[in-house]
Amino acid sequence: MIPSSVPVILATAALTLLAAVVLAWAYWRGFFDNLDAQSRVIFEPKDFQLERPWETPVERLEREMSHGKLVDPAPGEWGGAS
Amino acid sequence: MTAPVAGHAPAGEAGTLGRENVRAVAAARGLAPEDLEIRLRADASSALVVLVLFSVAIAWLLIGSIFGDIASLKLHWPDFLTRQGWLTFGRVRTAHLHAVNYGWATAALIGTSVWLLPRLMHNELKAPLVALAGGVLFTLGIAVGIIGVLAGYTDGMEWLEANRYTAGPLLVVGGGLVGLSLFLTVAARRAEHLYVSAWYILGAFIWFPMLYVTGKWPTWTGVESAAANWFFAHNVLGFWLTAMSVGAAYYFIPKVLGRPIYSYQLSVVGFWSLAMFYSLNGMHHLVGGPLPTWMITTSIVASVFMFIPVVATGINLHMTVVGRFGALRYSPTLRFVVLGAIAYTAVSLQGSFTALREVNRVTHFTHWTVAHSHVGGYAFVTFVAFGAMYYIVPRVVGHEWPSARLVRWHFNTVLAGIAIYVISLTWAGVAQGLALLDARLPFQVSVERSVPGLYGRSLGGLILTIGHVIFAWHFWRMIRMPTGAQPTRPPLHEAQPVLYTDEAEAARPRQGAV
Repeated sequence: MIPSSVPVILATAALTLLAAVVLAWAYWRGFFDNLDAQSRVIFEPKDFQLERPWETPVERLEREMSHGKLVDPAPGEWGGAS
Repeated sequence: MTAPVAGHAPAGEAGTLGRENVRAVAAARGLAPEDLEIRLRADASSALVVLVLFSVAIAWLLIGSIFGDIASLKLHWPDFLTRQGWLTFGRVRTAHLHAVNYGWATAALIGTSVWLLPRLMHNELKAPLVALAGGVLFTLGIAVGIIGVLAGYTDGMEWLEANRYTAGPLLVVGGGLVGLSLFLTVAARRAEHLYVSAWYILGAFIWFPMLYVTGKWPTWTGVESAAANWFFAHNVLGFWLTAMSVGAAYYFIPKVLGRPIYSYQLSVVGFWSLAMFYSLNGMHHLVGGPLPTWMITTSIVASVFMFIPVVATGINLHMTVVGRFGALRYSPTLRFVVLGAIAYTAVSLQGSFTALREVNRVTHFTHWTVAHSHVGGYAFVTFVAFGAMYYIVPRVVGHEWPSARLVRWHFNTVLAGIAIYVISLTWAGVAQGLALLDARLPFQVSVERSVPGLYGRSLGGLILTIGHVIFAWHFWRMIRMPTGAQPTRPPLHEAQPVLYTDEAEAARPRQGAV
């Protein structure tokens, strides 16, 4: 019987080393080069143009100035019945 | 005359049905036609798999709720259902745990991941039938595992009771096939950047097999078995359920708000610190157990260090919402996901404190732990899953949820239920722990002092079950509605116009956004 600590040590080391190797690989491949663009990859232009009823007039104006004329959201746009 | 809406169109059909319409609608919305078509193809490719997984998940949620209620009632009503062996506490409680953690939460979050990843990769889901087969096998594995447990067959390790030779292969192969489909999708990605949600989802699908094989390794015995058990049982929360849930929260919160997350740099710190250091945590479940002291101490230190990823993620998710809480009134998705994110911060910080020896000596072996696990498994994971489903299902089936009232009832019941559950059981756990530590008191006192909290637990659990029935009924109505049906007003869904014919599109009354 092997010491009780060995399985957990090996498994933990494997997980930690795997993460470290993938982090180094991702850095080397440039996955962190443009984080600002990465943060916007989930958006389409329409996402910024939708008129959001909870936003203040100032926020809406800012949105309009940055992204063009606002458009009405579709029913259910925010998830769930409207 | 209408063609099928996006959710029911076979993968790739969006491109053949309405390429001209794609251009027209994209132009009207100021989108590049390619972008809109890619997203429609992505959604259509995953629709069937997502719908099957969500349906299965909700079925397990109902089954798991019933088992949970029975187990809870037995704690203060010990003569309840005692004549059948398969309804004894030890079996029913384990069946509940498997049904809700692997059946409900895992299937719901896999479904969410299968829907999210093609969107994040700007591509179709690759090998969707492989993913579907994987989902079916995984579901069979859970069913076989639970039936085995109810029949009295268990591997005797918490969270790993399902038999390794019958349920195990089905779970491994099923999960592996879904993972294969996701990794093929990533390999064929068109997106230039990997969003943080993708890191979490992909990490989860790499970590889970490693954890499962380690936990289920057949040669562990005695103390090493306990160590491997808690290595799995704790890490499956952080590396599987938490990873997919946080990944989903990082998508839905900014998406609904229309603003990038507060600090993308923090999200990177949060993910990689979780990836590298979370695996040390599990041994804090064995404080006072027959393990080398250094193992426990290392685990406690690592648990405190979890403040780093938790605070990084918490700051990010919460600061994205700060100043925009009004959005919660309009978006059920946001309501569930934001509350889930708050619960994530709370349960993680609570977990770090609970790992400390001075706190643990009171809370260990008490109902506190059960309350804590429900803050994580329910208030965090399940709330995020509900929020994701409210967002995804209309985009899969092509029409709105039928009833805003049912959404409100669902939210209010589950919020009330989990609040009653957690408060009652946390209080009961502390009362129980303090009584256990008092050498002047007989053991019976610790039981008596926790009984009021156990009534609260059952009440909370029953309210949760009512909420689940409401949600399941709503989902059933949703998927039973004819394709493209209009519940109360035309569902001007973002994907819908693309799949209308030119004549229908021209004749359709204009409402809202185009």
